[in-house]
Amino acid sequence: MLTLVVGVSTLWLAATGQLILYIHPRYVVFTVVMIAIGMVLSLGVLAFLPARDDHDHGAEEAPPGSRRPRRRRRGSSTARGVAVAAGAVVTVGIAVALVVLPPATLTSATAGQRDVNSSTASLNGTTVADAKAGDADAYKSFSVLDWAGLLRQTSDLAFFEGKTADVVGFVVPAGDDPDVFYVSRFVVTCCAVDAQPVGVPVHLDDWQSQLQADEWVEVSGGFRTNQSSTSTDPVALVPESLEKVGQPSDPYLY
Amino acid sequence: MSAPLLHRDPGHAPGDAGGHGHDHAHGGPRRSSRTPLLVVGGLVALLLVVVRLASPALGPGLLPDTAQDFVTLTISVIVESMPFVLLGIVLSIVVQVWLPQAFFTSWLPRQPLLRRAVISFLGMFLPVCECGNVPLARGLVLKGFTVSESMTFLLAAPILNPITIITTHQAFGWSDGILVARLLGGFLIANLVGWLYSRHPDPESLLTKSFAAECALPTDHAHAGGRVRESVELFRREMSTMMPALFIGAAIAGGIQTAVPRSVLVTLGSNPVWSVLAMMVLAFVISLCSNVDAFFVLPFATTFMPGGIAAFLVFGPIIDVKMLALLRTTYRPRVLAQLTLVVALTSAAIGLVVNFLA
Repeated sequence: MLTLVVGVSTLWLAATGQLILYIHPRYVVFTVVMIAIGMVLSLGVLAFLPARDDHDHGAEEAPPGSRRPRRRRRGSSTARGVAVAAGAVVTVGIAVALVVLPPATLTSATAGQRDVNSSTASLNGTTVADAKAGDADAYKSFSVLDWAGLLRQTSDLAFFEGKTADVVGFVVPAGDDPDVFYVSRFVVTCCAVDAQPVGVPVHLDDWQSQLQADEWVEVSGGFRTNQSSTSTDPVALVPESLEKVGQPSDPYLY
Repeated sequence: MSAPLLHRDPGHAPGDAGGHGHDHAHGGPRRSSRTPLLVVGGLVALLLVVVRLASPALGPGLLPDTAQDFVTLTISVIVESMPFVLLGIVLSIVVQVWLPQAFFTSWLPRQPLLRRAVISFLGMFLPVCECGNVPLARGLVLKGFTVSESMTFLLAAPILNPITIITTHQAFGWSDGILVARLLGGFLIANLVGWLYSRHPDPESLLTKSFAAECALPTDHAHAGGRVRESVELFRREMSTMMPALFIGAAIAGGIQTAVPRSVLVTLGSNPVWSVLAMMVLAFVISLCSNVDAFFVLPFATTFMPGGIAAFLVFGPIIDVKMLALLRTTYRPRVLAQLTLVVALTSAAIGLVVNFLA
């Protein structure tokens, strides 16, 4: 049954800590509890209902559920049949994907499609005033989200003077300049569906020769006026060190 | 999306997903005892676990980015909705099997308008988001609600329920009347639609044939095995109806999201009229549950006008891609088209009013 497919997959994701690839951590407990109830019920179905219902296996051709009143007219048109078949294919395909494919984060394809830094409110978590009050240690722990927010709020170089960013994210090419890319993370409010990409622009001549889109990198460096003439970002990170890293176990920010 | 598919799929899925380990169950004696089935189920589950454990060996990069994102988004919609669907089905089972027949019907006012108004507030006691409401509404119809009453419940409950109110309040507070617009709007639309359909001469014809047939069954069948058994039977029936619908809805939602650039919508955000329409399209596509959509839309609050946000919060819980697939299990396509039109027009109106007041 599909319940078992979803149930096993979800519980496995939860057990391996990968459920957060799909939903916000605050829903994990609720999800696991409900799925567990669902699993018990669906095993209950198997335990309590005798096979006369013909419900779970081998119902390939004959419409099952003989004791339930069925639609009397069989699907009159072929269009209906096609729609049903297409639906079945989609359903089975997704069920297979759910079990077989390795779980993954969203990729730069979606980041590009959703426009890095296009939603603004999530970028206001760290304000310039907060940042001014912070000491040098605080900057060390600033994430892509914090820096992207600061860059959104001010392009005053004096503010960024002497501050070193050290951020981890994946590479998203900037659409407007070949020498600029974004170190990006997805920000998730509920689940991967609503993930919003945020990113810090990095100016690095010919970065394509070292990096590819989607690769996870750790970049550290200071902020300078963006040398690019075509880029819309006035200030960019100029890397002092740039290192390829593995994908973190919690790839999204919240 | 129709009856034959719904009852066929549960057989397909594990078979295709998990290999052929369970084929021996096929063609077993018709009255096989219970234990073997449970064992088979356990085996299937075990097989799924094994496949799942083995699959990381495949490694990443199996699919091109876009296809991978499509899969990720689709699974995300399923994983997010699944607990709510389960909760809805469990509540539906409680309502149908464990509560006395007259529990809901006896104390409701008889006067139709008043009755529907009270029904709109049932969500306060049955806090399920919209995906869970579909099975619950089906249960209520089987318990004697009329079709128009079920619609009122279906449309009002996702908005007028404590969890939604709390999360919306957390996200927006009282700013710009967004919360008020959402609650009032949900209430108005639900009662408007309920009123419209109560004037329908033949409400039975609004339902899909398979569901109408289910309603026609005497309610006190299958008492042989007692309530536990009845509950389990109901769970199976609802799950096999809802799951394929959920999967298909999720796939469509995931597909649209991979295909349509979101920036198209966001650039429309600052115009009073377009912001409302754009946010409604976004709500339609993104298919979030009403309990959580306020958090999602919060980042847009600075880009979009408040009316757009309000329209998103009123329209989204009622109509979206995933919901249409789920509703399709119960109502005819024509009804869904009318419903979408009415709700869209009303939410657009609410959004515009908020924009001009704010």
